[in-house]
Amino acid sequence: MIRTYRALLVAQLQAVSQYRVQSVLWMLLEIIRPVIFLAAWVAVANSQGGQIGAYDVRDFAGYYISLTLVLQLVFSWNAYDFEYEVRLGRLSPKLVRPLHPIHYAVVENFVWKVTTFIPLVICLAVVILTFDARFRTTPAHLLLFVPSVLLGAAISFLSGWVLATTAFWTTRVHAVSTLWDRGLFIFAGMIAPLALLPGPLQAIALVLPFGYMLGVPAEILRGGIDVPTALLLMVGQAIWVVFFYIAFHRVWRAGVRQYSAVGA
Amino acid sequence: MTEAVVDVRELRKTFRVTEREEGLAATLRSFVKRHRKDVNAVAGITFRIDPGEVVGFLGPNGAGKTTTLKILSGLLHPSGGEARVLEYVPWRRENAYLRRMTLLMGNRSQLVWDIPAADSFRVLQEIYRVPEEQFRSTVAELTDLLELAELMHKPVRNLSLGERMKVEFAAGLIHSPAVAFLDEPTIGLDVSMQARIRRFVAEYNRRTGATVLLTSHYMDDVVALCKRVIVIHHGRLLYDGPLADLAERMAPYKIITATLHDGAAASENLDGYGTVVSREERRVMLRVDRQVAPERTARLVNDLGGRLADISVEDPPIEEVIDRVFTSEQTTVRA
Repeated sequence: MIRTYRALLVAQLQAVSQYRVQSVLWMLLEIIRPVIFLAAWVAVANSQGGQIGAYDVRDFAGYYISLTLVLQLVFSWNAYDFEYEVRLGRLSPKLVRPLHPIHYAVVENFVWKVTTFIPLVICLAVVILTFDARFRTTPAHLLLFVPSVLLGAAISFLSGWVLATTAFWTTRVHAVSTLWDRGLFIFAGMIAPLALLPGPLQAIALVLPFGYMLGVPAEILRGGIDVPTALLLMVGQAIWVVFFYIAFHRVWRAGVRQYSAVGA
Repeated sequence: MTEAVVDVRELRKTFRVTEREEGLAATLRSFVKRHRKDVNAVAGITFRIDPGEVVGFLGPNGAGKTTTLKILSGLLHPSGGEARVLEYVPWRRENAYLRRMTLLMGNRSQLVWDIPAADSFRVLQEIYRVPEEQFRSTVAELTDLLELAELMHKPVRNLSLGERMKVEFAAGLIHSPAVAFLDEPTIGLDVSMQARIRRFVAEYNRRTGATVLLTSHYMDDVVALCKRVIVIHHGRLLYDGPLADLAERMAPYKIITATLHDGAAASENLDGYGTVVSREERRVMLRVDRQVAPERTARLVNDLGGRLADISVEDPPIEEVIDRVFTSEQTTVRA
């Protein structure tokens, strides 16, 4: 399997190298939204004496910069690609090969993250300097951040595949994935840090998977939560990984039986 | 009896499709209530294919050919019946099975468009776990047979349709499959490229002994490659036997073509010899019942005497036979 991954990695790197400018543009597009939220929260905080809850202007900057980095490391776009592949019949050649189609997506995600990481870090460095971002990160936070961001990526990737697999029944999953994105927008810590959500929304966010994808690793990276709380939230992340792993296997098995190989 | 490579028994596949009438009212009604209908794409077909056979799988559009190939390659689950390919149940999609078969669809690409074919081949080598030595010799052989040397290092998106098809063929065969399902492998190709692909399939079958099940709307493909054909229509098997016998069994007539010296064929009354199907200035074609063809030919030679420049007696063109099979929908014939 390692040799297969190496070959897929080389091929994907070659494919991506053909579209370097496009990759950077996508990356820039991804960081625009959190930076807009950062600017908005900074404006609101300044209008209220520089502080909202436990966050001052520099904390907001630290949070949204962490969130942008986490978003880049965690986010996967499987549902969109998968629908496209099912609808145009491009999934069929993959299904008749002795390699589960999920492995291609793992490599595509990994290569996308690797190739856009350095330009992203440069952009974020500029934002850090511009907003004088504050991080309360300790070595313990950094240590916890690595497994936390991996768990967040696993939730994002597997939940994306569960959604994508519904294309076996519906052929189109765009509406479902858009609904999912709206959930992400509200409950993942994008519109506001989870700690600043109104009480009922915060309670809902704690039982939904979205915050465990983005908000939790972002707060750990910023050092915004203490280590015991971080560990507790990481248990929540692990539970969601197991949930989506089992869900994916079940939905995939049923979906493949349902597959009608349209357009192929 | 040889162990069958492909063994299909009473295979069925039913698709549930949504139907609605045209127009605004029907469209609005369809938001609330949908009419669904079961379509029997494959309605209980049975056949077996022995090792090394090249079998043509014929039928009009919607006959169930591609659905059958998709079931046999593991893409689709059947609604009923049984199938074994190389002793495996295809739709379980065990890796051991997938490593020994290939499905090539003429209208579908399995290569990564943005990288050269040579790099895609390397990926396939690892996916199919082809040992390095075998990989090198297979690529060399495929490069030779398909004349790929010039194409291997160009991004696939820069290749012409014909060039891409050749490369697709090589990609599908990189793991030296024991069974190849070829669905319209020459579709969209020019005549010379079609001929080249045909030569390649024949040569590949000869060299490797691979079993091939081929669908094609180009009868030239079938005539060049398949001694045996399976004909299906509306998901049912109509004929399974030698291609050579298809005309005899399904079209009980011969075509006599008489060419005259004096250019009078256009006006000559030949109705007494058979049904005139076409006339040109010097040539006339007659459809004659198979049993009486020798006698009618002899009479024609005798009656026309020195005016006759040439005469031939042939089976009707295979396209005509197939068309006759589809339009008459005769009951199953097994040779």
